[in-house]
Amino acid sequence: MQSGLESLFVLGTSHHTTPLDVRERFALTVDQTNDLQAQIHAQEGVRECLVLNTCNRLEIYCLVTSSSSLEIVRTLLCKAQGISELLFEQHAYNYTNLDALQHLLEVSSGLDSQMIGETEILGQLKQSFASARKDQCTGKIFNRLFEKSFQAAKAARSKTNISRGQISIGNVTVNLASRIFGQLNQCRVLLIGSGEVGEKTALALKSRGVDDISVCSRTLENAQKLANSLGCATINFEDYTSHLEYFDIIICSAASPKIILNKTALHSAMNQRPERPCFLIDLALPRNIDSTVDSLENTYLYNLDDLSIIANENLCARKNEIHKAREILRKHAWSIWLQIRRSEQILSVGDS
Amino acid sequence: MTDRDLLAVAFAIYGCAFLYGLSFLLMRRPYSRVAMLIQLSCGFLLQTLGLNLRGTTIKAWPLGNPFEVAQFIAWSLVLLFFIIGPAFRLRLLGFLTAGLTTLIAGLSLAMHSWDHPYPLRIFGSNPWIEIHAALAIFSYSIFAILSLISFMFLVQQHGLKKKQFRGIYQILPSVQQLDLMAKRLLFTGVLFLSASLIFGAVFWANNFDLVPVFKLTATCIIWIGYLCVFTLRMQRKLVTRRHAIATIILFIMALLSLWPVESARGPELIDKTSVAPQF
Repeated sequence: MQSGLESLFVLGTSHHTTPLDVRERFALTVDQTNDLQAQIHAQEGVRECLVLNTCNRLEIYCLVTSSSSLEIVRTLLCKAQGISELLFEQHAYNYTNLDALQHLLEVSSGLDSQMIGETEILGQLKQSFASARKDQCTGKIFNRLFEKSFQAAKAARSKTNISRGQISIGNVTVNLASRIFGQLNQCRVLLIGSGEVGEKTALALKSRGVDDISVCSRTLENAQKLANSLGCATINFEDYTSHLEYFDIIICSAASPKIILNKTALHSAMNQRPERPCFLIDLALPRNIDSTVDSLENTYLYNLDDLSIIANENLCARKNEIHKAREILRKHAWSIWLQIRRSEQILSVGDS
Repeated sequence: MTDRDLLAVAFAIYGCAFLYGLSFLLMRRPYSRVAMLIQLSCGFLLQTLGLNLRGTTIKAWPLGNPFEVAQFIAWSLVLLFFIIGPAFRLRLLGFLTAGLTTLIAGLSLAMHSWDHPYPLRIFGSNPWIEIHAALAIFSYSIFAILSLISFMFLVQQHGLKKKQFRGIYQILPSVQQLDLMAKRLLFTGVLFLSASLIFGAVFWANNFDLVPVFKLTATCIIWIGYLCVFTLRMQRKLVTRRHAIATIILFIMALLSLWPVESARGPELIDKTSVAPQF
């Protein structure tokens, strides 16, 4: 890293350097973020700026002409968050010029994310950029810089496997369901139990077009509460086995010490629908579904371990791609940096 | 350029399409469907020209020897892919079609003895028997595609049962899509084969002595086999995995039956007034 402040810098905190309880204290609301951005842009010596505020990071990108700008920005940030500069210093990082640009590219490509390769950050960065541009906090340099960083992120994703394979239980389930059913919009889902993982899995399926979800739980109140949050129906826990043949995907996450779905019940259901596959997801510990149901024709049983293995292997595969993606981004960063210097002749304090 | 040259170039293009798909699969990346479609279209165009040239020479459907039968099956296979491929967007079907077409067309070109000369107007003066032969071979192509889809189904199902999630399993279509497509193809294939046999039966009823018993038996066994699978499928007694295995076994039997059917072709059927040139 280069020492001393130069014309482009990024100052911030992220999940890499800051534990969750501290990140909670650093968090800003949308209004606070916009106010901070406007305040920073109003400072003398700040040409352009952008504040990126997500659940895992708070970063300020600045193009400045004065060496004191970093200190001013830091003070403004701590003031906005209502925290001491000492606490912030313990968890903060800053990069300048080419290092700052490389960092931006790694953030936009998801390389710096907690879930490596995730694409949500790119959307958040685009949103922050659109907001800053609308407020005229960005100018010619940042407009070019951020547009180029989005292109570089796309290139890194397409040339490597950094974003391939799902790494959350919900998305792994959706992926497996697609391999069984293709389009998911016609699938009927039964959620047994009101566990959190089950709820997240149902939400992931819903986000992929599943409309027909039913919930059943030993405690009717829990079932109704969950049904309300998912916008779906409830069925009685006592007689759900008599409706099994109507469901394509069955998610079990009930806190039951014994098996609640056995082979006999499922065999009887499958006899009613021999051509339609049934995807069973057992997310409970101890398990809710008899493991022998997997031997039934046209049924596919996955438990928490199976899904975790898939998620972890996908994550490992992504990690193996980090070096390759970083090299691609390094080349892009260098190329963008040269283009900007050539066109704008950025004067860095360090150079002068 | 002779008809055989055109068919050889078509084979080379199908081979390129197969290698193109294979190279992408080895890199664990999906290939471009458009590129696959263009390559198969080029091969199909040249193969159509080749078969047309051959048909013009013999003044009939080119189904007179094993070489022509194999080429016609390969041609029908690609034609079927053009019909069902873009409509149902079954991933990998283009690649597997290219592979099977390359194999069938390549085998027919490599086996010089298959392209033996035969008398002109091999089907005599009866046009119905020519339609019978064309429909029968077309139904065999449907069963070829059906066996490819059944194979894809078995691979995907194996992957899901054994918790495999990398590589080809991610690219294959879903088991439900494949099963539904297999059901539709089985219905279409049985329909074409039945129609073919009806045309053949009309001829057989009028020329009882001209159709060898062995050919009749082999054809009927295959037809009854497919009819049984179709009936059991409709009754939902033979579904998914067992259905896929049954259709693959039946297709292998159908291919094997072509040989005795071809060798049992009676000389009486042939109008001996003219003989086709050596190809």
